[in-house]
Amino acid sequence: LTLFELENNLFDFEIIIHENAKTDKKTSFFCHRAILSCRSEYFKGLFRSNMKEYQEGKVELTGIPIKIMKVVLTYIYSGNITITQENAIEILIFAKKFCFEELASFCTIFIKEN
Amino acid sequence: MSRKMILRVPKFQEPKRMEKSEAQRLWLLLKDAIVEVQHMNASTLSFEELYRSSYSLVIAKRGDILYTGLEEVNNHHTKNLLDKIAQAVDERFLIELNSQWQQYKLQQIMIHDILMYLDRMYVKEPQLKVFDLGMFKWKQNVLIHSQINDRLVRMLLGLIHMERNGEVIDGALMKSLIQMYVDVSLKEKETYKQEFEERFLLATSHFYKSESNLFITNNSCGAYLKKVEIRLIEEEARIKQYLDESTGPKLIKACEDELIANHMQTMIEMETGCRTMIQNDRFNELKLMYRLFQRVENGLVHLKNEFAGYVRNEGHKIVNQPENLKDPNALITSLIEIRNRFEKTLSQSFANNRDFINSVNTAFESFLNENDKLSESLALFIDKKLRGGFKDSNDQEIDVIMNKVILLFRFLSDKDVFKKFYEHYLAKRLLSGRSFSEDLERTMISKFKQECGNQFTSKMEGMFTDMRLSKDALDGFKNYLQTSVEMGKLPKIDMSVRVLTQGFWPTFPPHSCTLPPLLSQYCDLFTKYYCHAHTGRRIIWQTNIGTAEVTFRLPKKTHVLALSTYQMLIMLLFNDAEKLSLKQMAAGTSISFMDIQRSVKPLYSGKYKVLKRTPAVEKSKELSENDIFELNLNLKCKLHRIKFAATSQTDSEPERQHTRQRVDEDRKIEIDAAIVRIMKSRKALIHNDLIVECTKQLSSRFVPQTSMIKKRIENLIEREYLERFPDDRRRYRYLA
Repeated sequence: LTLFELENNLFDFEIIIHENAKTDKKTSFFCHRAILSCRSEYFKGLFRSNMKEYQEGKVELTGIPIKIMKVVLTYIYSGNITITQENAIEILIFAKKFCFEELASFCTIFIKEN
Repeated sequence: MSRKMILRVPKFQEPKRMEKSEAQRLWLLLKDAIVEVQHMNASTLSFEELYRSSYSLVIAKRGDILYTGLEEVNNHHTKNLLDKIAQAVDERFLIELNSQWQQYKLQQIMIHDILMYLDRMYVKEPQLKVFDLGMFKWKQNVLIHSQINDRLVRMLLGLIHMERNGEVIDGALMKSLIQMYVDVSLKEKETYKQEFEERFLLATSHFYKSESNLFITNNSCGAYLKKVEIRLIEEEARIKQYLDESTGPKLIKACEDELIANHMQTMIEMETGCRTMIQNDRFNELKLMYRLFQRVENGLVHLKNEFAGYVRNEGHKIVNQPENLKDPNALITSLIEIRNRFEKTLSQSFANNRDFINSVNTAFESFLNENDKLSESLALFIDKKLRGGFKDSNDQEIDVIMNKVILLFRFLSDKDVFKKFYEHYLAKRLLSGRSFSEDLERTMISKFKQECGNQFTSKMEGMFTDMRLSKDALDGFKNYLQTSVEMGKLPKIDMSVRVLTQGFWPTFPPHSCTLPPLLSQYCDLFTKYYCHAHTGRRIIWQTNIGTAEVTFRLPKKTHVLALSTYQMLIMLLFNDAEKLSLKQMAAGTSISFMDIQRSVKPLYSGKYKVLKRTPAVEKSKELSENDIFELNLNLKCKLHRIKFAATSQTDSEPERQHTRQRVDEDRKIEIDAAIVRIMKSRKALIHNDLIVECTKQLSSRFVPQTSMIKKRIENLIEREYLERFPDDRRRYRYLA
């Protein structure tokens, strides 16, 4: 995650994960709009829309497991992903929902091979 | 046994069957948001919330509600927009339409982003994608609506018309509005093509049709060409500025059709047109014409034909001009001149286009061979140049002229005729010592060699060798004379002899004459010497091409006359007689009467008259056998040495006939050789094929006549080189 760390202080966007809707526990991930836009049509649309999230510089997502988010974030910044039998399906669902094209195809291939 | 790998599937949460009311709630939420977007109030909305709602609806298999709902909302919105736009008047109309369109497009992108999941998972062919749906609604309800479409196109075309007439219009607005037609087209820009492009092209053709007709009748062709070029540049710019690039080729084609193709004939024929330009060497205008004609189909063919026609016509004029027929020098000079001129036209105006060059060459070929005297004229031209015409030129200029000569030579179809004449004049130059420079002679010959190969020039080179050997032989003879016994008995005369190998040199018609005893003694001596040195050779004396110097003693003054051998003989007769008739001269020298005539003529009718015709008659009168001449003892001349033309410059008709005859003889041999060569390799051949093959092989040297080939075939059959097949008389077989 060297690149990720290097750019620490240039973050311009915050993703807040609300893992369980029933609790108030929230975790923040900081990242870059430009990089998110490249990986995902969802984020591209979000930044293009000029709506609330764009103006506030943060988005709150509910029902996403923290560990999945971490794996995905690694992927977003490095292009590498460790897909295991445990997380494959969950990553796929995430990728599909938020339009990470490449990531979704990785998962599909992985699942087919197993 | 391998353990089966099992994917851990997370607890699958069966989406709770979404209640209809819940679905309706989500849809209403989205609908409100869409309406907000359409009113440009998007900044307060939450993208994540909207996305999540549409996601939930699609997951819950309620995409249909969303899709049909969206359709309705768009429908409603566009209809509202229509009213708003249609109310705008005049120029406001375009501006209003454009700003509404720009906003609408942005909104559609936003809506697409929100409904992305719907777009990906729900929408299947033939349903339109969310964004396309928006475009379609705009097209349906706004753009092609009767209140908009016609008005818009008319205004756009009106603006373009204004711009073509030199006014300034808003290019960005044009671009945006025209691009709108492209954007709302679902596939292959069909709306753009149907609604706009077609009418635009029509208007363009119309505009340029009337403009070009008007302009060309009121202006010169050159001005028109410039106008066309400017127009085409403008249209190219127009494409870049605000048209869709797919229109480019069509627009340019329409312009080219109207501006160039339809007026090609006029531009060629009109008074200030192509013909005049070629005549007056208007290179720049022709270049422009070439460039423009190149753009349309068959354009260059027209131009090329016109040019080639002009070249042929000019060449024809030159070749058939009476003055030129008399003066080969002027003929060739003017041919070289027009060749230079047309080469300049080719390079400056026609980009040295291969086709153009070829057609000009074909034109040259045709008019150069129109006249069978050309081979001879060309040979004469070189003769004159090599006799001293090059005196004032430097090496470079000489080289240029020689190359031009070769160029013209290349177009001759009867190269062998030329060769014969060239050899003839070369021989004369060498024998009379009139050649200006041996180096130049050799350069010229090496150029022919390059062009036609060794065979063509072997005889010419042989002549040069002979000249060198003769010099050696003559030196040897002089030494021999000094040591010889007989020498003491004879008065000394300075005699020079040239030994010519038969075959290399053109054969001169044999003439006989009686040499004075002293000379013939010397001749015998030389024969003796030469045959001694080179056994097995025979010497034939050719006195008719020799020269002599005679001392002419007048009462007051002494002159030296440079004469031909015949003239010398005639003059010597006057040593014993005061008056002689031509008949007597002929008898005294045994020279043929015709040669007498030719020899005497320069002596009495030239600038310096050494003979007088008595009684004096008009110059022009033909000589007859009984005309009497006497020496002109009152000759007045400052020069000590007087030179007389050996024979008249151009050859007499019989001599020319003779050359032609020899060419024909040579041709027979060439044809025989070609036929035998072909038959030897083919063994058997049909008559027509043989003729074709034979013509092809010989074409580099001359164009044989079919009848001649036929005769040669007959002849070869008689000589048993060939035979006809007994069952097929049209086929020949080679007999080894």
